[in-house]
Amino acid sequence: MGSVKDLRHLLPPEYKNREYGTVPPDTTREPFRWVSEISYKNVHRIVARGYDTTELMMAGYGLVDVLFVVFQSRIPTIEEAKMLDYILIMALEDGLSSPAVISRIVAKSNAILTQAAAASVLAFGHTYGAFQDFGNMLNNYLSRAEKEGKTLEEIAEILVKEIPLDKILGVSDLCLKDPAPKRILRRAEDLGVAGKYIKFIKEIAKAAQKVGEKPIDVDMLGAIGATMMDLGFSPEATWGIIAVTRAFAAGAHYIEEVERGGFLKYGQTLTPKELYDGPSEKPVPPIEERNNIAKPAVCRTLEEWKKAITERQKLYGSGWKALASQLEENEEK
Amino acid sequence: MTERMPLIQTKTSISYKTEEKTVIRGYDLSELAEKGYTFCDVLFILFQGRIPTEVESRALSLEMGAFLEHSMSPSAAAAIAVATGRPDLPAAIAAGISTFGAVHGPGANHGLMLNTYLKRALEEGKSIDEIAKILVDEYLSSGRRIPGFGQPQHIDGDPRAEPLHILHEALGLAGVYYELQRAIEKYFKEKREKEGKKPVPVNVVGSGNTLLSDLGFSPLAAWCLGSICRGYSCAAHAIHHYKKGHAWAASRREPMVQMLDLSMIKYVGPADREVPSPEERQEYAKKQKEEGEYKKWVL
Repeated sequence: MGSVKDLRHLLPPEYKNREYGTVPPDTTREPFRWVSEISYKNVHRIVARGYDTTELMMAGYGLVDVLFVVFQSRIPTIEEAKMLDYILIMALEDGLSSPAVISRIVAKSNAILTQAAAASVLAFGHTYGAFQDFGNMLNNYLSRAEKEGKTLEEIAEILVKEIPLDKILGVSDLCLKDPAPKRILRRAEDLGVAGKYIKFIKEIAKAAQKVGEKPIDVDMLGAIGATMMDLGFSPEATWGIIAVTRAFAAGAHYIEEVERGGFLKYGQTLTPKELYDGPSEKPVPPIEERNNIAKPAVCRTLEEWKKAITERQKLYGSGWKALASQLEENEEK
Repeated sequence: MTERMPLIQTKTSISYKTEEKTVIRGYDLSELAEKGYTFCDVLFILFQGRIPTEVESRALSLEMGAFLEHSMSPSAAAAIAVATGRPDLPAAIAAGISTFGAVHGPGANHGLMLNTYLKRALEEGKSIDEIAKILVDEYLSSGRRIPGFGQPQHIDGDPRAEPLHILHEALGLAGVYYELQRAIEKYFKEKREKEGKKPVPVNVVGSGNTLLSDLGFSPLAAWCLGSICRGYSCAAHAIHHYKKGHAWAASRREPMVQMLDLSMIKYVGPADREVPSPEERQEYAKKQKEEGEYKKWVL
């Protein structure tokens, strides 16, 4: 602390003269207002996409109908509403998977329900529950098919060639014994709501089956994602809707955790040494020796930098190994 | 095969999942969907372990449909604010849901209050009407707010609240919770009028939670249904900002002043002052602590 010098003289010379004080209100432009295409409310009404929400309720429009109103600005057909209802059921619960576990871990600290359920939503990333990435993948290749005049079968084969099998979202070995994905797709077809996205994911599965050595088929991500998009939901809307749907169940997992008891105290949890595989234990050097031992991280040449980041990659949790993977991925692309 | 070990080892009475199926409270989830049960049916199964009547399920769907969207409330504002930094969508949704606390949204407090006083009625041999009067007197004499009344934006009455009560009764679902809630409203109104004050109307928590209670949901389950349901709306508002708003929300090129424009900051803290040099630091800090002026700013 004592060695830190006053470095203000290094600031630009005019820095001292810069003005203090907040910026006055900008009267040259329209004042800030919340801009929304989704809804507004006044003292007496709440209106979503032009429909009074209380009137929707009293006219018999329920949860799934309102989801279409909010996300797509339209009243769904009965078949579309039935299909979304079916999907929400299938998205609700998945046993002790990431969202439930996150919710339970938050519950262990005796936090409130909404924090635990909200945390569960964060489990939806770019592999688990990757509905946005999945939808974008379909859209990108469908757009290419249109531009290049390819059939769904042809573009599916291209997709399977370009993306490693284990990285293709929506097809995997996860549901080979579970009839649920096939049932979702069949129900969409029976209700007459299946479209190009369901056709495409089926083609992707076929193409993947041809080149893969192991059995593979449409999984829950693929079935739910493709059906949601055939129902007109964007990749982002699908991501949000499915993540929120799971949060209801995450709330139940929170409640169960609270009811079964066993809250954790700060510092209570131990980590067995057997789980540790980091640097070996060593004595903490006397503080006076720190500058003799410590080496600055700064690299002055590219060779030094290369050597340093190679060394840094050996330490899990530093972020350098993750960077190396990202750089490799970028190269592949 | 892909590694599929459980993430944690714990007992659960909610569900299990094998390679073949997911089973929730004893029912195969896929079979429920195949046989025509609705999402709201399965929410009853999730929280209550039972299949509801058609009317119960319909009531839940309508209540959630009405609660889902509420334009600019803390939840939507939080989701939008988070979206301005362009993290992944789930972060914005989580922020929106996290705003449901002691004041915003259907906290478990309302349900806890109803259940507490129903229990007292039973134990003290009082009628529901009598216990409602006691509840109102006790809350008001101790200076506590009765949960389920008033809404800062809908000052003349929450547009969802009374219609929800009407729906509750029209669907033949009015039970002890409805009776107690209505009696509380009656005595609260009387009390306010006696004091020459304007009545505070019931809000969507007061009427919605009452319906959910008569549908068999616990206060915690009801809170979960309401706050998570609003998560859908948070997702929509966040996506709207991702797709049609400006990241950072501070652009000076927009014809309207943006949410985070510099001019939106009104500072009411300590006056501008010199940063002490490292040499002066210790003396300066001691003096500052002794003088104690800083205490009025401590959070």
